[in-house]
Amino acid sequence: MLFWEFFKVSLFGAGGGIVLAHRCAVERRRWLNEAEFGDVLTLCQFMPGPNVVGIAICVGAKTRGAAGALAAFVGFALIPATIGFILALLLLGQARAPIVQQTLHAISAAAAGLMIATGLRLLLRRHRRDLRALAIAMAAFAALALVKLPLLLVLAALAPLSVAATMVWRTKAS
Amino acid sequence: MNPLGRLTLFLALMSSISFGGIPPVLPDIRHFVVDAHGWLSEADFVNFFALAQTIPGPNMILMMALVGWKVAGIPGALAAAGATAIPPCVMYFVGYRLWDRFRDAPWQNVARASLAPLTFGLVVAGGTVMAQTVDTGWSGIAVTAAAAILLLVTRLNPMWMLGGAAALGALGLV
Repeated sequence: MLFWEFFKVSLFGAGGGIVLAHRCAVERRRWLNEAEFGDVLTLCQFMPGPNVVGIAICVGAKTRGAAGALAAFVGFALIPATIGFILALLLLGQARAPIVQQTLHAISAAAAGLMIATGLRLLLRRHRRDLRALAIAMAAFAALALVKLPLLLVLAALAPLSVAATMVWRTKAS
Repeated sequence: MNPLGRLTLFLALMSSISFGGIPPVLPDIRHFVVDAHGWLSEADFVNFFALAQTIPGPNMILMMALVGWKVAGIPGALAAAGATAIPPCVMYFVGYRLWDRFRDAPWQNVARASLAPLTFGLVVAGGTVMAQTVDTGWSGIAVTAAAAILLLVTRLNPMWMLGGAAALGALGLV
C-alpha cells in the first residue's frame, strides 16, 4: 500500500511532489497528522539528500518501520527513476535536433526560476518577519551564488554561526 | 582511480552534504564533471537538468543517473544513482528515528530555527547558479524570472510553467 501510494505520488508529482505527498499521507490515508507532517518536512529539509524521497522514507518508517521505509523508497525512487531514465535516453537520441535543443534550453531556464521561487517561498512563509533568519539565508545565498564558494565550506562556516546566532538571540528574548 | 570510481565517491560525498536537497550541490557537481574533468560538456549538463525537470519522478536522482551514464554507460548510471540516493536515505531513516525519540528536546528547536533558513538560502542560490549557466541572453533571463514570479504569486501547477517555456523554446523564441 505504501509502495503503491508513493509510486503514484512520484509519477504524477513532477514539480509538486511535496504537495501531493501531503495530500496522500495526511488527507487521504491519514498515516500522519498535520503537525507530524510538518515535522517530517522540516527534518527532511535540513537533512542532506533529495527531500521528497526523504518524506516518503519517514512516512514509511512511521507506519511500518524499516520494511515500510524500504517499500516507500522502491515505490517512490527506484522504479520511477528507472522509467525516467529510459524515457530520457530515448529523448536524448533526438537531442541534436535544433528544436529539441531550444526546447530543453527553455525548460532549463524555467526550471531554474522554479527552484529560486521554491526557496524564496519556503523562506518567506516561515521567516518573513525574522531578520536573523533572513540574514542567514542572504549570507548562504551570497556565499554560494555570488562568491561561488564550495558548499562544504559554506556549510562549515555558516551552520555553526547560525546556531550560535539563534542561541544568543533566544537568551536575549527570554 | 578510474572515472566511474571517482564520480561515485564524489556524488556520495555531495549527497551526504546536500542540505536542502540536491539543487544546492549542483554548482559543485557541475564544476566537478564539466570544468575539472571534462566528462560532460556544458550543453550536456544543461540538457540533463532540463530532462530531469520534465520527466516525473525523483528528478535529481535521474539527473545524476544521466551524468553517470555519460561517464561510464549503464554501470555508471547505476553507480551514480546509488551514490546520490543511498547515503541520504540511510540518514533519513536513522535521522527520523532519533528525531522522533527526542521530539521535545530544546536543542531540536534551536537546530530547526537556525538550519532551516540556511537551507532555504542555499536552494535559492542553487537555482541562481543554474540560471547563470543556462541564461545566455535576455530572453532566457525573462523566462527564468517569469517562472519564478508565477510560482510565487499564483497557485498554478509548475508543469504549466515548464510547458509554456517548452512551447516558447520550440518556437525558437528563447
